[in-house]
Amino acid sequence: MNPTYFLFLIYIIVCTLIITYWAAKRTKTTPRFYVAAGKLTGFQNGMAIAGDFISAASFLGIIGMVALRGYDGFLYSIGFLVSYIVVLFLIAEPIHRLGQYSLGDVICARFPGQHMRLLMALGTFIISILYMIPQLVASGFLLRLLLNLDYSLSVLIVGVLMTIYVVTGGMIATSWVQIVKTVLLMSGTFLLTLIVFSHFDWKIASLIDKVKDGSPFGMEFFRPGHLFQNPIEFFSLQLSLVLGTAGLPHILIRLYTVRNTFQVRRSLISSTWIIGSFYFMTLLLGLGTVALLGYDNLFSLDPTGNIAAPLLAHAVGGDFLLAFVAAIAFTTIIAVVAGLVISATTAFSHDIVHHILKKGKSTEKEQLHAARLSALAIGMISTLFALSLEKINVTFLVSITFIVAASSIFPVLLLTFYWKRFTAVGAITGMATGLLSSLIFVIFGPHVMNPQDGWILREPLFSLYNPGIITIPLGFLGAIVGSLLSGKKRQSIREFERFFVRAHIGMDTRREVEWRR
Amino acid sequence: MEEKIRAHLRKRKRLLILLLSVSLLFYFLLPLSLIFIPDVMSRPSFFYNMPWAWLYAILQIPMTWVFVGIYHAFAKKMERTMPVNKEDAL
Repeated sequence: MNPTYFLFLIYIIVCTLIITYWAAKRTKTTPRFYVAAGKLTGFQNGMAIAGDFISAASFLGIIGMVALRGYDGFLYSIGFLVSYIVVLFLIAEPIHRLGQYSLGDVICARFPGQHMRLLMALGTFIISILYMIPQLVASGFLLRLLLNLDYSLSVLIVGVLMTIYVVTGGMIATSWVQIVKTVLLMSGTFLLTLIVFSHFDWKIASLIDKVKDGSPFGMEFFRPGHLFQNPIEFFSLQLSLVLGTAGLPHILIRLYTVRNTFQVRRSLISSTWIIGSFYFMTLLLGLGTVALLGYDNLFSLDPTGNIAAPLLAHAVGGDFLLAFVAAIAFTTIIAVVAGLVISATTAFSHDIVHHILKKGKSTEKEQLHAARLSALAIGMISTLFALSLEKINVTFLVSITFIVAASSIFPVLLLTFYWKRFTAVGAITGMATGLLSSLIFVIFGPHVMNPQDGWILREPLFSLYNPGIITIPLGFLGAIVGSLLSGKKRQSIREFERFFVRAHIGMDTRREVEWRR
Repeated sequence: MEEKIRAHLRKRKRLLILLLSVSLLFYFLLPLSLIFIPDVMSRPSFFYNMPWAWLYAILQIPMTWVFVGIYHAFAKKMERTMPVNKEDAL
């Protein structure tokens, strides 16, 4: 391995472990383990949300997509960003007011019961694991590509690190690793953008001209339609992207890590500024890649476009900048997977172990012990899974995570907060319909059933790669039909009004009183 | 529930629906325009002859910032003008 790469890698690992050591000394209670005792400021949490949200697929994938697919590649980023409007307007504040550590707490605030908690925990667990496995597998390939490490060793390094962060430092360590990642990612991307832009004398016209020269399509490169030809597929993807974030548990539980709803809004506003600026820079970097490296050259080196950013960094800044970009990619992966481990851990240890198995009677010490053990088990099992998946294509799991989240958790949360006729049965049927339909559509769709390179070598039963346009309405339909059929079990108007006031203008400063310990 | 709280929640709901509909309309008009009027969206614009589709897509970034900013300002104002003690309402 090149010594510069090695030094960067060691530097990142040592820095994050120092953060974890510092965090471990502070993680002595369950509120601190699960939600950093609500002590982050809005801006810190905004950086952590951006760090949790921007995956390696965003950092490396979108630059490559813009370089190879032009406009259509950029559309992914737009959906990701606008989804924060849905989170802020509809979901964020009620979640903060109603929940304590998990999404199960939120739904149980209206429909108390073990079945409901179990279902929410399962949904959270499935979504977190679905998202974590491809990230770990991608980390293996990425580190092999960038740092020339063996696949198994790469996965093992990332798996062990994420487990150490969460087991010892809980949400405090995870948050600060994510904050460091955001600082590194934004500064690195900004630096790279400045260097690239300087090659065009700081003129957009010059960049556009060079892109035309660098692409075999000339000005046609800028026309929409290089990726999405099927309008239903295209609309379905945009729908899933814009609604998906509002159902992603690892993002939503971050809303507990601040003190009040003012800080919740501030968190989301900060994250939209960071994520929006980041995607704007990736657009410039994607175009810069075509202009400086040439479309044909990039395509011949990597038809997926995933190494566009490293190639660009090497072209404009040599080995040093490439090492920096590799370090950013590494930090990006560990920050995202750590967020996913803590999300799955909360669902398992808080919802399933504490509330369901122990009937809510475990002591503070037992809860903390169970949380650490759960994190250890989840980290180890996910790493072992990822180690065995080297030869299997799992990248599609990233895109289906948004579909599953938008079809299952999002409808249940939305109807819980706003629909007075919603019932516990409706929540269960909605969650089950959304979860099952999205899994069925993916399993029998072209991602899995494909005569060329699918897991099942047959023609797919459903033609859509992004079935959100069907599964999201199905999730809502399941919830509505379930509620209407169980109308007798509906809450009284008085009960609903009490819940509604609590969700929308309720006490939001409880953490200041309860968790200052 | 006290009438003042009801009025407060109604006001909040009205503005939320307005903001949400305008922002989502702005967002979904992008894929819809690309599906239904691709030729118009591919025409060169005043901005370095880039197609209109690029301008509209890039505008979504400041649009998001503006809408989340408006919502925050509105929510802050609503919290300040809360009609009665929140604990009483519960």
